[in-house]
Formats: sequence, C-alpha cells, structure tokens
Amino acid sequence: MKTRGWDIIVFRGVNIALIGFLLLPIVVVILFAFNSAEFIVFPPEGFSLRWFHKFFTDPDFMGSFFRSLKLAFLTVIVSTGVGTMAAIAIVRGKIPGARFLSALFLSPLMLPAILTGLALFQFYVIIEAGRTFWGLLIGHIVVTIPYVIRTSTTVLYNFDISIEEAAMNLGAGPWDTFRHVTLPLIRPGVIAGSIFAFIVSFDQFPVSLFLVNPGENTLPIHLFNYLKYSFDPTVAAASTVSIAMSITVVLVLEFTVGLQEYVRL
Amino acid sequence: MSKESKKGMTRRTFIKTAGAAAVAAGTFGFPAIVRSAPTELNVSGWGGTWSQIMKASVYPAFEKEHNCVIKTDTAFPFAPKLLASPKSKPFYDVMHANSNDQWKVAVAGFIEESYDPKKVPHIVDLHPFATSDKIAGIAAFTSAIGLGYRTDKTDCTFESWKDLWDKKFAGVRGTYVITNSLGTCAFMMAGKVFGKGLEDTEAAFKAMEALKPVKMVDFTGTMEKQLFSGEVIVGVIHDSAIWRHLEKNAPLAFSVPKEGVLALEQVWSVTKGSQKKELGYAFINHMLSPEIQKIAVEGMWYNPANKNVQLEQKFKEHLFTTAEQVKQLVQVDWKWYNANEDILTMKYNKIFQAR
Repeated sequence: MKTRGWDIIVFRGVNIALIGFLLLPIVVVILFAFNSAEFIVFPPEGFSLRWFHKFFTDPDFMGSFFRSLKLAFLTVIVSTGVGTMAAIAIVRGKIPGARFLSALFLSPLMLPAILTGLALFQFYVIIEAGRTFWGLLIGHIVVTIPYVIRTSTTVLYNFDISIEEAAMNLGAGPWDTFRHVTLPLIRPGVIAGSIFAFIVSFDQFPVSLFLVNPGENTLPIHLFNYLKYSFDPTVAAASTVSIAMSITVVLVLEFTVGLQEYVRL
Repeated sequence: MSKESKKGMTRRTFIKTAGAAAVAAGTFGFPAIVRSAPTELNVSGWGGTWSQIMKASVYPAFEKEHNCVIKTDTAFPFAPKLLASPKSKPFYDVMHANSNDQWKVAVAGFIEESYDPKKVPHIVDLHPFATSDKIAGIAAFTSAIGLGYRTDKTDCTFESWKDLWDKKFAGVRGTYVITNSLGTCAFMMAGKVFGKGLEDTEAAFKAMEALKPVKMVDFTGTMEKQLFSGEVIVGVIHDSAIWRHLEKNAPLAFSVPKEGVLALEQVWSVTKGSQKKELGYAFINHMLSPEIQKIAVEGMWYNPANKNVQLEQKFKEHLFTTAEQVKQLVQVDWKWYNANEDILTMKYNKIFQAR
C-alpha cells in the first residue's frame, strides 16, 4: 500500500512535537543560565556569563560537583561489576529461588528512595558507622544496581546459548568464553545499565539527603540548600553544566564505543 | 649466623627497638595528643548564605576559644534525622531549626526546652519572644511574616491582612503550600483576622476558599521571584526576603499589618542525650552575644533576639529591635499545630487542589 505524503508529514510532525515537548524545559533552563537578570525570569532580559562564573568560582558548588562526579563514577564501577555478576548468576546459575533473588535485587526500585535513605541512615546509627563517604556510596549502589541487573538480565534472556557452547566445543575455557563471547554480546545491556546508574547516582537526592556527611554535600543537596535563600540563575548554570556533561559523556561513548547498536536491546 | 647479627644490630632488633620507642613516645605523649584533639560539636544549620556567614564570621572564634570543631549538617530536614537516632546518642548536640521542627523533637523528648541563665548567661538580655512558652529551646533570631508588595503596581499599602483578600488582587496575590511554615502562618493568621483567633481553623479554611484565585508557591525564593517579575503584586513573605534587596532600589515594600506579623523564629536547642552539653550551652550563648547577633542580622536581615545589639541605622529603620516593635510579633502555637498537622494539611490541600 502506498503511503500518502501527508501521513509522513503528520507522523514527523507528531514526533517533532513530542521531542520538542521533552527538550523544551532543558532549553528554557539553558536560557535562564545565560540570563543577566538577578532572578530566573522568562523571557530573558540580557546575556551574561556571570552565573557560570559564580558557579565555577564558588568552592561549595565546585566541591559538591566533583564530589557528585566521584560518587557517580565509583557507583558505576561497583554497580556494573556486581550487577552484571548477579544477572549472570540469576539467569544462568540455576540457583534455587532465582526469581525471589531477582525480585529482591529489584526491590529498591519499588520503594520510595527517601525510605531507602532513612532506613540506611537508621542502620548506620545502630551499627555506629556514622555518616561517611563509603556509607553514601553504598546507598547509591543499592539504588542503582537494579538498573544494571534489569538491563543485563534482559540481554541474557535473549542470548543464544549455543554460541557459548560452540566456543567451548572449540576449546575455549569458561573464562575465555565469558571474556570473548558472552561479555561482548551482553555489552549493550551492561552499558545501558551503567548509563542509568551514572544518571541515577549523579542526580540522587532522597538517599543523599540522609547519608551525606556534614560539610560534604553532593550537588543536588547543595542546590536544594542554595534555593532556601537564593533564587538566582546560578542554579540554572549548575544544571546547564550537568546537561553539557551528560551530552559530552554520550558523545564520547558514541565516538569510542558506538552507541547506536546498544540502543537496541 | 649472618653478618648483620655478628655486628650486634640486626634488622629484627632495629625494628623491635624502634617499635618500643614509638610506643614509649606515644604513652608519654598521649595526654598531649588527647588534649590537642578538638571536640566535635554536631549541629544542624541552614546552607547557602547562612552557612557562608557562619563559617566565615561566627564559628572560628568559638572553635578557637573552646578547642572544638563545629560540624554542621545543612541537609534539611533535620528533625527526622534526630528522631531516627537514639536518645542516648542523638544525631545532633545542638539543633538549629524553626519552631515547628523544634516542637516535634521536643514532644518526642529529644531536646531541652528551657535553659538556666547560669549556663546561657545572655538569656537575660533577650526579648520575651525568644523564651516564651511558644518556644522549645531559645530563639536567637526571628523573621516577621507579613505582606510584600509592588509599590509601582498598586496604591494599596496593606494596612490590614484583609487587604490581601481584596477582589482587585485576584490571581495576582501569592501564598504558600501549608507544608511551608509561611503558608502555615498565613493560614493561622486568617483564623485570627476572620475568626476568633489563630486556632479558629473553620474561619481560616473559609478565608482560604475566598482567597482563590491565588498563586501558590513552596519556596520563599519563588515568592521573591514572583514579586520581582510582577507575576504577583502582593504576597505573603518574611521581611528578610524584602529588605535584603533594599540596595537594588526595587519597587518593593514590606507591610506590617495592624493585626500583627507572624514570627518565624530561628531556634537553638541542646539535645538531652548529648555528651557535650556544656559546649552546647556555650555555643548557644555565643549565638546570643550582641557581637554575633550583629553579624547574622546584617548578613541575613534577621530580627535579633538580644536587646543590646548595636545596629546601623538602615537596619534599625526596618527591623523589629525595640520592645514596642517586637510586641507586633505574633507567635504561633506550633505544638498545637503539629498535633493537628495531618488533618489541617489534608483539608488545606483539598481547597487548593488542581481541577
């Protein structure tokens, strides 16, 4: 059946409208960041870089920004490693109660994160661990591991196991089979989970609220505190920097690893 | 036997000797080491500008005098964290919060509600609002919640809270969600203005219904922004939020209606289970000293609790500093409000729910 021209126009128009609807708030935040006005106003009143200058020269903002980055990278490393191994164990390990384990690992997604944060806080109080960077890292890992497990188990369930069997028939040991056959084929799920883990950790607020060490706030906590007394576009500048960073990460991954294939899980 | 041992000093004996020397030095030096380790005082406090002022101008002198380090938790909310910690090992030694949160932890038995002048000497220099029966702890500062308005968009000077309800301001007036203290205060003031008193919730709910259409915000900063941008002509706001923009010559003014302004107190309290109570009392006394009050007042435009603070004229002109002026401060019974919070929040949200 021949598709009429107007079908394509409507289809593309709806897609552009939807993408525009999703991206417009980001564009508005970026406009606020370059606004010269003292407050967040729309439409912008002039062009200025002063809010970026304020963001980059404020030690509290910079401290919290790099702290959030460090936390996010460590979270990705641990969540990806542990999450991938857990996914393989659940799908391939023939463990009794694998479905229960899967539900247990994914349970942090079903709880409001603020309850997870409060529960961990109380646990640390009981064991007298105090609030440390490592305690905060554990909190972030708890809420990001489900994403890695979820995406990794998806690719593992769709995995053709005969490929592994073929490799082993040809003499590859279990470790070589995993390294050269299994891992490259499940990489889309692992990378997708890692990206989610990074985003969730960097933007994490409710868990961090209870677990940050005094004086060592993460960026979302610092932004929230800042808004109590100031409502100037420094917040928008901080958000713009975060958006630029996320876009840069995606572009770097695209040029090095190539993401197009990995979008298809 | 090796060459080294023949000489009398082997690696093994050297390590043993050095280790023993280190232990001896540590044993003799232990009191010095213990003396020099500063005590940590865990407090809660606001972030942003407040935190910068505290770290730069308020904490250093106290830390030096008392050989301590003040560790401030700025990740609000504070009350749930204190409540989640054991009473014998509270999360904070000193809690700084607004009155509503102080009452929550006071009712749960976590903090000392009143203080001995022998432990906090400056307490005798305070205005009555700082230690009234409406306060659990000691209020070191307060803001005054009144009406902020655009002088270029209205001739009304808001002599009464009832002016906020004037039909000509429909859709261009602002208030808060009830979970924000300013929203709670405005709600209770409606009970006083239109009913029998702050706790006349029936009158207050009727007044809220009559206030619609109104712009609702959840942050004070949002109300400031709306006033600056002209989205609202008049809004419920605390005086600090207007006066700190004085030098910008913005067309903004703050009204003290005839029915009074509500006090938004900044309260400090020592936790009952703290192992550093004496240090906590000293810290609160430090916050109440005229010199420190002056720093915080000039940095934040808060109203001081200490009667003896010497301020510049521009602050005296706008803030509540004399006995007559502070009489205009209306204090909310937060203990009563907290006990009824759930039902009041539910009913308030029903009035303002989006349809």
